[in-house]
Amino acid sequence: MKKPSLIKSLLLSLLIPCAVLLVLEIIALAKGVRLFANTDSWKLFFRAVANVTLTTFALSVNLDSGRFDFSLGAVAMLSATIAGTLSQQWNMGPWLTLAVAVCVAAGLGLIHGGIYVLTRIPPIIVSLGMALFYEGCAFAFTGGKGVSLVTRMDIIGFSQIGNYILVTAVAVMLVVLLLDYTRFGANYRALVSGQKIAVETGIHEVGNALGCYVVSGALMGVVGFIGMANTGSQQMALNFGSIGIMFTAFLPMFIGGWIGRYINKRIGIMLGAVSMALISLAYARFDTASSVQSIISALLLVLFLIYLNNEFAILSKFRKKQGAKA
Amino acid sequence: MGKQTWKERIPAFASILGLMVLIAAYYIVGAIRDANVAYGLKAIVNQSVVVALVATGAVFIYTLGSFDISLGAATGVSALLGAMAYNATGNLLVMFLVCVGVAVVLGFINSSLASIFNLPIFVTTVAMMSVLSAFMLILIGWNGAGDTIKVKARDVRPLDNIPFKVAILAAYIALCWFVFTLLPTGREAKFTGGNPVCARLSGINEKKLGIIASLISAVGIGLGAFVTIIYAPTLTKDTASSIGMDVIIAIVFGGMPVSGGPRSRILSAVVGAFSMGFMTQIMSMLNLGSGYGQMIKAAIFLLVVFIALGSQRGKLLTR
Amino acid sequence: MKNLKRILCLALCLMLTLACLPAMAAGSVKIGVLVADATGAEALAFRAYYEKYIAKAYDVEFIYSEELKTADGEKDAIDNFIVNNCKAVISFSSVDRPAQIEQCETAGIYYAVATGTLTDEEYEDFKNYEHYVGAIGPSLNTEFQVGYNMAAYYIDQGMTKFGMFGGAVPYRTDMHIYRAAGMLCAMVDKGGEGAAYQGVNKPDDIIGMIYGTGTIETGKIGNLELLAYVGGYDFDDAWFGKLAQMAGTEGIEAILTVGSGVDVLGSFVAGSSVKLATVDSFTPAMGEAMNSGIIDYVAGKFATSIGPIFIATLNAVNGQPIRNEEGCALALDQGYWVATNAEQFAQYYAVDSSEENPAYSKDILDAYAPAGVSYEDFAAFVAQYSFEEITALKK
Repeated sequence: MKKPSLIKSLLLSLLIPCAVLLVLEIIALAKGVRLFANTDSWKLFFRAVANVTLTTFALSVNLDSGRFDFSLGAVAMLSATIAGTLSQQWNMGPWLTLAVAVCVAAGLGLIHGGIYVLTRIPPIIVSLGMALFYEGCAFAFTGGKGVSLVTRMDIIGFSQIGNYILVTAVAVMLVVLLLDYTRFGANYRALVSGQKIAVETGIHEVGNALGCYVVSGALMGVVGFIGMANTGSQQMALNFGSIGIMFTAFLPMFIGGWIGRYINKRIGIMLGAVSMALISLAYARFDTASSVQSIISALLLVLFLIYLNNEFAILSKFRKKQGAKA
Repeated sequence: MGKQTWKERIPAFASILGLMVLIAAYYIVGAIRDANVAYGLKAIVNQSVVVALVATGAVFIYTLGSFDISLGAATGVSALLGAMAYNATGNLLVMFLVCVGVAVVLGFINSSLASIFNLPIFVTTVAMMSVLSAFMLILIGWNGAGDTIKVKARDVRPLDNIPFKVAILAAYIALCWFVFTLLPTGREAKFTGGNPVCARLSGINEKKLGIIASLISAVGIGLGAFVTIIYAPTLTKDTASSIGMDVIIAIVFGGMPVSGGPRSRILSAVVGAFSMGFMTQIMSMLNLGSGYGQMIKAAIFLLVVFIALGSQRGKLLTR
Repeated sequence: MKNLKRILCLALCLMLTLACLPAMAAGSVKIGVLVADATGAEALAFRAYYEKYIAKAYDVEFIYSEELKTADGEKDAIDNFIVNNCKAVISFSSVDRPAQIEQCETAGIYYAVATGTLTDEEYEDFKNYEHYVGAIGPSLNTEFQVGYNMAAYYIDQGMTKFGMFGGAVPYRTDMHIYRAAGMLCAMVDKGGEGAAYQGVNKPDDIIGMIYGTGTIETGKIGNLELLAYVGGYDFDDAWFGKLAQMAGTEGIEAILTVGSGVDVLGSFVAGSSVKLATVDSFTPAMGEAMNSGIIDYVAGKFATSIGPIFIATLNAVNGQPIRNEEGCALALDQGYWVATNAEQFAQYYAVDSSEENPAYSKDILDAYAPAGVSYEDFAAFVAQYSFEEITALKK
């Protein structure tokens, strides 16, 4: 199959986010509202891009290997809780707090991966157990009170557009580097496409799986910190209250998969996150009710998947019609 | 290939051994804590029967190697609509039929979307879960009676008893066992879950199986919704919200592999649901704080699963 | 097989060990506590009072349920309390109170409502139940008044442009709806001639409208204006965006919240001139927020406000239930402490959070609510719930 030209690849990559933006701007015009009204709108947009990009990376790095992970939210919560508590006690600045959150989260990911490889329990089950465990840890760590940093202007001052862009750019670069330009990434891709053969050729699956969990954890550590810096607090959750964040990553993951045909898949995921961020911004600007948001988001996911899984049939029909007209 | 020795058969009963350990622990902890263990058994049945019903039907879906996260939301919507139907008609049979009917329609929509449009069933159910949860909130708003939809407790009280619920559960298990074990449907489902490529090449229609599995599961959801109303006739937007997770845990506690295949068993769901019930009672009797209690619950959960899935460790990491 | 046996034995031993530990610390009377919120500051403060003070002072053991959101969850939790031989249940969960009362009555264990009340109809149905102790807490009228007073405080200062956070209003939660309605009614009453909310100006109509729509509409209310409103607890990017938008709305002078004000809006108003008011609890974090000017007005259920319902329950368990002349159960209103500056807050917090001598200490409870106390005396005691009155009682 002929590879599309660079220009065509770029255009196709930007097709979905641009189409989303166009549609939303038309709706905004009809409602008499501006999508990007002020600094707060841009902040919301870039924060959503950061959150969704990182969460999707964290989910997909394991999900592509068939490892479902319900514990992403719990890792984000616990790492932010520990980092926030230490920040209060030792008066750490925002970047040091972020670094601590990332390290703690990476450690939590390593523990999770370790339990998975040692027990050989299906990963989805391990993730359920770890989600419960980490939620309980966070609750016990703070006595249920959570962390309040609302008076720490330096921490809540982290919530700036420039910081969101920086964090997203660094995360994208590191993930692209790791998964596409290192031996770890090559092994990872081999295991994704053929586990048995990859292992039999000598790839160390256990080490690779542990690495994936560490990466996933570290990414969620950043997400946890961003959330805590945004609100100035970290609330506790019990009984799987933290798992909801995982579901926000599905649509950007599939969009990223489609865009990944034309450019790097991780860049594709970021562009998918951009599309989701525009939608989140629109929900805020249009003051959309929560139940309506859920329904729209679910419909978008299903419609996109219908297209994705029937693309050949849809395009063939379209081409036949074009041919018939000609 | 000779007969299995009793040592080789032990792993197949690991989940039942796990349940027996939990029952033993329940009695021992109950004795130390001076608990009313006899009453506790009744409470365990009440608390486990809805999960057992939904999980039994869900075995068909999991056997295919699929996954359904919208079970709780579907149970909730079925229960709300069933309650509204009862309030409109005053007829318990209508409530029952609406509960089961709504669940069947939802199951049909899920499976049809997946089979007609070739969608991965799990993602379809994620979308369905969002839609149904939002719909529950809308239904409660439409009902116009605050944040609940209620059926008069005295109207359903005659049915709120252990024999009735156990009878429903037993009948449904018998039906599912019959379909799963004695009809070709069950064998085809296990084959498909174990090796989808070979199953397809052997002429098994995966889409048709998916629809049948969803419909059988939907009957369980409808029964679960009906029993939920009988047990606690005040329904909220959170009714049955935890069932999705509880079903996964129950199935795994019951020793069934999440990836499905030939090792799937109908009774895994029941064993798992009651294992969960005993574990919940034990945690309640231990009366630990919320945070530490949840940590210990998680540790025990992983331990029990480790025991129940003891025989399924291979060279490759499980996926 | 050997490994399996070892694991099973290990698990069993672990559980037995764990089972022994709480048994050693168990009190002589077990009381079950139904919990609707396990992670909120107010709920944690209540739990700390019961577990760290009352349990030790009175040799009781509290068994807490998990966070309850459904009626079947409440029923399961009460069943668990019965299994644990609890003598009474104190309920903070209100999904289906009638069912809770019936279940406890059937089981022969006492039942009490904390931080809430029954409706008039429910009270009529259950007031003569042998095992129904009663309810002590803010009535819906009190919740309405809390919201009213909050809005009135700012309107009386000359402010005219407001934002509102509705919390659980979209979920039709009574408490939050009444608080929000109180705020709107204050605006209607003080908004000048012809002021109305969406064309209505009577409290019942406003309450009905909020129940019907599940939301609050922005707009002018006489010469006042509600510029922005956010409701729900979505905790997603769009929801945080709406909150940030509200805080950044041009001209907004004060944001009135039905609850969780600092948690959801603190970071967005920090450093701005927007006043933030909330109904919440007295915690160190709230105190810091008040010191730094982030929060301006806190109406709180003080943590020890659940002392009277405890002592009433304990008296009932010990055979001395508090009944009025007709033999009816308790139905007593209890209000909030309101702090409008940091010094006041610190004063309230010091008394409320003390583990040695809280507001409702054992001395106070034993002095004013001993076994055999009359309904009238007990009611008079509960009615003195303000900070000044409790301080006077302690003297």
